Order: sequence, then structure tokens, then C-alpha cells
Amino acid sequence: MPGFPRRLTSRAAAGLALLPALTILLVAHLGSTSWTIWISLTSSRMLPNSNFVGLRQYETLLNNDRWLVSAQNLAVFGTLMVVGSLLVGLLLAIAIDQRLRVENTLRSIFLYPFSMSFVVTGLAWQWMLNPTHGIQKLVRGWGFETFQFDWIVRQETVIYTLVFAGIWHAAGLVMAIMLAGLRGIDEEIWKASRVDGIPAWRTYVSIVIPMLGASFATAGILLSASVVRLYDLAVAMTNGGPGLASEVPAKFVMDHLFERGNLGLAAAAATSMLVTVVSIAAPLLYARSRARTAETRR
Amino acid sequence: MNVIEPTGPRPKRTSPARVGLYAFLAISALFFLAPLYVMVVTSLKTMDEIRGGYILSLPSELTFAAWTKAWSSACTGLNCNGIRVGFFNSVRILVPSVIVSIAVGSLTGYALSFWRVRGADLIFGALMVVAFIPYQIFIYPLVRIFSMAGINQTLFGIVIIHTIFGLPTMTLLFRNYFASLPPELFKAARVDGAGFLQIFRSIMLPMAIPMIVVAVILQVTGIWNDFILGLVFAGRENLPMTVQLNNIVNSTQGERAYNVDMAATMLTALVPLVVYFGSGRWFVRGIAAGAVKG
Amino acid sequence: MGRSRFHALVPAAVLTMLAGAASAQQRAEVIHWWTSGGESAAVRVFAEQFTKAGGTWVDTAIAGGANARTAAINRTVGGDPPTAMQFNTGKQFDDLVENNLLADVDSVAAAQNWKAILPEAIISAVSRNGKFYAVPVNIHGQNWVWYNKSVLEKVGAAEPKSWDEAIVVLEKIKAAGLIPLAFSGQKNWERDLFNTVMLDKAGPVVWNGIYTQRSEAAARSAEFRAAVETFAKLRNYVDAGSPGRNWNDATALVIQGRAGMQVMGDWAKGEFAAANKMAGKDFGCTLFGSKGGGYVIGGDVFAFPKQKDASRTGAQMLLAKTMLEPETQILFAQKKGSIPVRTDLDTSALDICAQKAAGLMKDKSQQVASVQMLAPPAMNGAMEDVISQFWNGPSTTTDQFIEKVVGVLKQRY
Repeated sequence: MPGFPRRLTSRAAAGLALLPALTILLVAHLGSTSWTIWISLTSSRMLPNSNFVGLRQYETLLNNDRWLVSAQNLAVFGTLMVVGSLLVGLLLAIAIDQRLRVENTLRSIFLYPFSMSFVVTGLAWQWMLNPTHGIQKLVRGWGFETFQFDWIVRQETVIYTLVFAGIWHAAGLVMAIMLAGLRGIDEEIWKASRVDGIPAWRTYVSIVIPMLGASFATAGILLSASVVRLYDLAVAMTNGGPGLASEVPAKFVMDHLFERGNLGLAAAAATSMLVTVVSIAAPLLYARSRARTAETRR
Repeated sequence: MNVIEPTGPRPKRTSPARVGLYAFLAISALFFLAPLYVMVVTSLKTMDEIRGGYILSLPSELTFAAWTKAWSSACTGLNCNGIRVGFFNSVRILVPSVIVSIAVGSLTGYALSFWRVRGADLIFGALMVVAFIPYQIFIYPLVRIFSMAGINQTLFGIVIIHTIFGLPTMTLLFRNYFASLPPELFKAARVDGAGFLQIFRSIMLPMAIPMIVVAVILQVTGIWNDFILGLVFAGRENLPMTVQLNNIVNSTQGERAYNVDMAATMLTALVPLVVYFGSGRWFVRGIAAGAVKG
Repeated sequence: MGRSRFHALVPAAVLTMLAGAASAQQRAEVIHWWTSGGESAAVRVFAEQFTKAGGTWVDTAIAGGANARTAAINRTVGGDPPTAMQFNTGKQFDDLVENNLLADVDSVAAAQNWKAILPEAIISAVSRNGKFYAVPVNIHGQNWVWYNKSVLEKVGAAEPKSWDEAIVVLEKIKAAGLIPLAFSGQKNWERDLFNTVMLDKAGPVVWNGIYTQRSEAAARSAEFRAAVETFAKLRNYVDAGSPGRNWNDATALVIQGRAGMQVMGDWAKGEFAAANKMAGKDFGCTLFGSKGGGYVIGGDVFAFPKQKDASRTGAQMLLAKTMLEPETQILFAQKKGSIPVRTDLDTSALDICAQKAAGLMKDKSQQVASVQMLAPPAMNGAMEDVISQFWNGPSTTTDQFIEKVVGVLKQRY
């Protein structure tokens, strides 16, 4: 069998090609993660030490108001931001897909926020939402003296302003993904529904949108990853305030890691985040990969 | 490529629905442009006007002083050379980081898709989980690992860092793309006796160009906007532009010149902005070519 | 590159000469977070004085204390330390000392007789186990009350002497339709405002009870409760735009006469100076200490990480010495808005607020150490969270707040 040795070397080459990724996974990711888990069991302050204290840091964490509030905030923000971005992104994609002459311009307008970091745009948002010099002042200046828009300075509402800015940032990306999905749909479907006299909106709701499953999945994964890592936005817009009302877990980790010199608690918080993510993501990814394998084998 | 042709229902001219559509798009566009507008007008005002006036009003007299100051004379500590110093550092970090991270990501994605390597699913799954971990927790251990390896505080070090953090997304992109290609393509090449690298170079990469464009756009944005990794890993001589931006914008004590802040911000954002405005069409096309399949 | 071979070839005497010449260009890379206009001018004083003394200053400025410390600590841990790094006077560098990463500056301290010229609180803040591990460079008062003189005149109020008096004034300013208290609602300023009230209403004993002894009794005392109640009242005197505001924007409100007062450290003087406002003429400064002892002192220090290359130690010691020279101290304080850390200097060149402060520095009973000096960063952070939650959540009762403070005090850090 003349092809055999070459096949073998190619297999080996494929394995070899995975070496960088494997090294990164083992050394950087797995190494750092196990280190973090270990540190969460010690009394480390600004620098790591190996003074084992069992689960004390986790106990502190569970009694920490700020951590509990952060976790709640993330749940609220995450749900609204993912759903909101998917919805806005989808609407924009559908709107833009209506054979517009200005499509290119609009697409760039919706997409540009994704290119800018929040360190950059957070200040602009903060200004616009601030009641004393933002939108509220502007509208009052027009004569509507009682107009009120002070969400960013109120504990009960500040999280929604983050959702606002979060959607502004990510909806363009979702739009691009959805648009790509829409463009992949067979023109025949539209022809058929026109022939049958089905209104466009019904075609979207009952035929086209259900076909965008892969787009929703891709966008959903990207959005969820950015939700868990949410940090810059909260820092730039509200720095967690007023009070603890817009604190988020990644900021909790970051603050305790550096400013507060409390590595042990930061590591415990990070480990808790990791465990939560893995326990939610692993079954989903597994199911997805099973489904996909089944598909390729077919 | 006819994929990017609009596919929506064929429009009827000037129906009420059409008017509604345009109204929706116009309002959305205003919403999306508002922060950019605020930043631009603020950067063109004087500080007195900013203190007293409305943030949305146009500058009473146009001045570009803030822009010149931000670019060439704003001070960070004792160095008053503006943010232009960091610009070239950012470029030096950006170019190799983008190339290396995409090279590793595409190769990994390729090896994971066509080659039934043992444990491939496990590797892929692990990478996906990693994408969700806040990268702050990696900083400290990586500093230790890098200093043991002797590459802490070097350009090489920061390139590796960006490769590490870009790997999950890059692998996801390319693996999904390659997985969407017809397997016959691969089988035929194998029958012709092509090896691992040969297939990658002469068949897969050329086909993956739309995907590479998407990858470049994502990586340019991510790496250019990075602050904390550059600060910690790049070393004193290679501090990226965002560090200078932070110095100008986030001084904790002392007066803040918001017009200079905004100008510096716009200048820093220029590279990714140009990339986006210039390649929005390719972005959608690239995503259409594979990221949403499978 | 080739240095060891070079050493082997050159006779010892020549080397000594070279070493002498090299010390004329001692290079010091300094990481600090002084990036704003006034701060840069102050750093320039250090750089110029160091150059005059024969050194070469290499400036690494990174805005934001946490950012600068992150970079400096990570470099030290990673084996590539800067020559000197900035900290706030206090406990931020404890772990570095414990891990044997800092060089002591005892030789300089002995030569300049620090024990005689520095205030006691500062000495204990920079020494560990009997050795000096950092150079204190300035003293910032953290609990100043700044007020716009013409606003107070307009409402017919005199300079208040305590928070009880201040509330009467604030009420008048409110009636006049102005913002009574210019406030920047960020966690650390919320904490500083609370501390300012607490020191006035509860006094140094409770202050130290909370921050030094972490005593539950102090938190449950009647004085502490009175402080909490006064603090809560202040919510009525800030404007709707205060949450998240930067401190200097709050100062601007006072400067423009749109607000009456502000509580802020003496770095705020830089803002008044930039607007051409004179201390004593356009604005006034005062401190409240009804229970005796009303001046909260903090400041900045520089620490010196241990170096692999012994020749760099020389630059460190030269820098330490230069920073505490009388001329450097006065020039620096003028630019920074702080006062010199040395008590043996002629301060007549400073403004009246700084002179008032320098007077207080001569009497130990007037001073209390800042929370950064007394408590570890982890505890200060936890206090910040609790105070911020209370300030922004009017539904939290005084009792609930006190329970949370007790919780913070009981935690292990």
C-alpha cells in the first residue's frame, strides 16, 4: 500500500499542528486555572502564599453583599443584554435586507460601536445619561421642565443603562451575523411564499427566523462570553455605582486582585465564576457537539 | 458572490410599510451615532464651552486645538509627546500578534476539523469553555510563567499573550468554516496523495480567505483596544497607545480636559474604525461564508 | 553583552574609576501615577533635583493608582523591577516587605536623621520590623472642607467650625437655590466624606477603635451612631448629578459658585489654582475636629524593589536622599498642593491652607493617621462597599449599617 506511510506522517503532522494549541491549553489555561483554584484555598493577600485555609475564602465570599449583588446584576444584565441584542440585531438585519440603496452606510453605522472599546465610549454614554448635563438637561432646555431621565444615578435603574450601552455595542455584530444568515436562505422560499400570498412578516416569523438557528447560536455564544467577562463597560460608565447597584463579578475579581490586595478572595470569586460557566456551558457544548457529530456521520 | 445579494421580499415602492422601515432605520442610526456625535463635537469645543453648555450642541467656534494637543503634546507624566508615541508601539504589537494568532488559530481549526485526531472534541470543548473565563485571573500566573521562560516584558511575550487569548475565538471561526466545506474536497486531495500541510496551504487557506478577513477584523479590534495585557506584559519600551490614552483620560487627581480626552479617544479608535468602515462588506460576506453554518 | 570579559581584562583600579564615572549617571526608572498637569509639574521637581544630584530620571507614568501598582508589582514579581515605585503612605507594600522583595533605605534614613525630622505616624507607616522600607515624600490632608467665600457671604454664613454648624450653612445655601455640597459620588470619596464626618462627631478614639483595633465596641458606640446619622443627613444636600461624578468636576462647581462647599483632600487646591482662585480670598479651607484632633494625614511614598544588579542600588539610595532634601521638599509641596513630610522646614513659602496644616503637624494630638495607614487595602475596600451601599440606599437603617460595619471589622484580611 504505497499511500500508507504518507498517511501516517500526515496524521502525525495533524497531531503536531495541534501542539501549539495543546501547549497553550495545558500551560496557560489549565495551569493558570489550577493555580487559581489552589490560591482560592489559601490566605493569600497581595502576593500568593501557601497558607492553606480550606474553604474560608468561599465562606467570606458567600457572606459578601457585594459579591451577591454582583452575581444578581450579572444575571439581569446578561439576560436582557443577550435577548435585547439578538432582537435588535435581528430587526436591523431584516430591515437592512430590504434592498436598500444605503445598505453599506447603514451597515457601517450599526457595526462601528463594536470596533471601539468601552474605555473609549463609556465616558460619552456617562455624559449623555447624566441628568445634570445630558439628555435630561437637553429636553428640559426645550421647555419640558418636568422631564426626567436619571436612570444612571438611581440604584434601581442603573443596570438598565448598562444594558442600553451593551446592546448599542453588540447589536451591530449580531446584525452582521443575522444578515449573513438571511443571505444564506434560498430565494425560492420567498418566491413560494409570494406565490401563496403569505405576508412578508409571517414568512419571517414562521419560516425564515426558524431557519436562522446557527446564526442565533453563534451570536448567542459570542454575546454570552462577553457578558461573563463584562468589566470595561461597568468601570467606564458607572464604576459599579451608585452604591453597589452596577457591580459585576469580573470587576469584583479585578478589584480584589489588585487594588484591594486580596488574591485569595479574588481567586475564590474567579473559581466560582468558572464553575458556574462550566456547569452551564459544558452540557450545552456537549449536546451541540453530539448533534454535530451525528450530522457528519450521517 | 451572489450570497451577499439582499434576499428579503421584493419591495413595493413607497408603501406605508416602506416609510415605517425607513423611519425605524433612521431612528436606529441616530441612536447608534449619538455617542460618536457627542465625542466629536466635544473634541471641537473649548473647555469653557463644555463646562457651561449642552453636550449635544454644536461648538460655537470650531477649534482643532484639542486634536493637535492630544496627538502631539498632551503629557503623560514627564513626557509631553501626546499619544503618537504609543501609536507605533501599538502597530508593532498589532502586526505580529494578528499574524501569529490567526496562523495558530487557522491551523488548529483545520487540524480539528478534517483530521480525526484523538481527543479533538475534547480540545475543542476545552477551548470553548476557556472563552468564557474572565482573563483577569490569568494575569498573575502568566507573569510568573513568562518570567520563568524569560519572555516577560518583551514584544515576543505580548505577541504570545495575544495568541493565547485569541486562540478560542480563532479556532471556533476556522473550525466551523472548515467543517462547513464539502468533505469530498478533502477526500479528493487525499486520494491525490496530498499531505497535511499541502492540503492546508494549497486548498484550505485560499478557500478560507473570507474567514481570514473576519479573523483579521476581530483580532485588529481586540488587540488594538487592549489595555491591561499590554500594560502588564509588553514592557516599558512597547507600551501600547491605550496606555497613553488611559494616562490622558483617567488621571485620578488634577484637572481633566474633556476636549483633549475625546480627541485622544477618537485618535486611538481611528485604526479599528477605519478597518470597520472600510471592510463592513467583507465582514458580512466572511461571516456568511461559514461562521453561521454548522 | 561581553561585560564579564571586559571586567576580567580591566585592572581593579581602572574599574573603580569607571564606577565613579558611572555613578555620575545613575539611572533610575520610576513608576508613578502622577499624570495630571499639576502632578506632572510636581514630578518634574523630583526629576530635576535628581538630575542635579547626578542621576538620570527615567519616567514611567501610568494613570490610576491601581494600574500603576499592578504594573509595578507584576514587574517586580516577574524579576524585572523598576528602580522605584509609588505607593500611598500605608499598608499597600506590606506583602512586598514580607516576601523580601524590597530593599531597605536605612542608610539614607540614618544619614538624614529621619527619626528626628519625620512625624511619628509617618515613621511607623514606612518602617517594618525596625527598618525603613520606603521614602515618604509628602503629606496630604484628606479631610479638608473647601468653600466658596462669596457663596457663604451671599447666604450670610460664617465659616462653620463643625458638621453641626456646617449643616446649618448647607441649609441656607439650599434655600438660596444653589447646590449645598458639591459631591463626587464614587466609592472612595463616599468613604472619605464618611470619615470626615466620623472624625468630627466621634473623635480620634473611635477612629482608632474602628481602623486600628477593629473594635466592635467602637462601632456600637453612641458617638459612632451620631456620626452615621449626620452622614445620612448629608444626602439632602447633594445634587442629582453627583453619583459617579469626578472629584474635580465637583470642585469646579465650587469654583464657579454653583455650589457652596466640598469635602476633599488638599490636592483640590490645584483645581483652584488652575482657575486663578486664591486661598483665603476666593475660597476658604477648614477642618472639623470637635472632639480634639481633626487632621487626617496621608500621602505618598516611594519604595525600592531589590535589584539583581547591585549597581542600581546606588541610584536607589541617591533618589531616596534627593527626595527628602529640604529644597526638593518645599518645591515639590508647592506644585503638589501637599505639605512637606519634614517638620523642620520653613513653610512660609506655602499658601495659607498649607501653613495651617504645617502648624497642625507640629502637634501630634491634632493628627490622626489615614485609613490607608491603619488598615490593609482589603479592609478599606470592604468599608468602602458598606459605606457606599448606605449612602446610596436611603432605605438602609442606621442599625443595619452598623451591623455591616461590625461584619467588616470581624473579617480576617
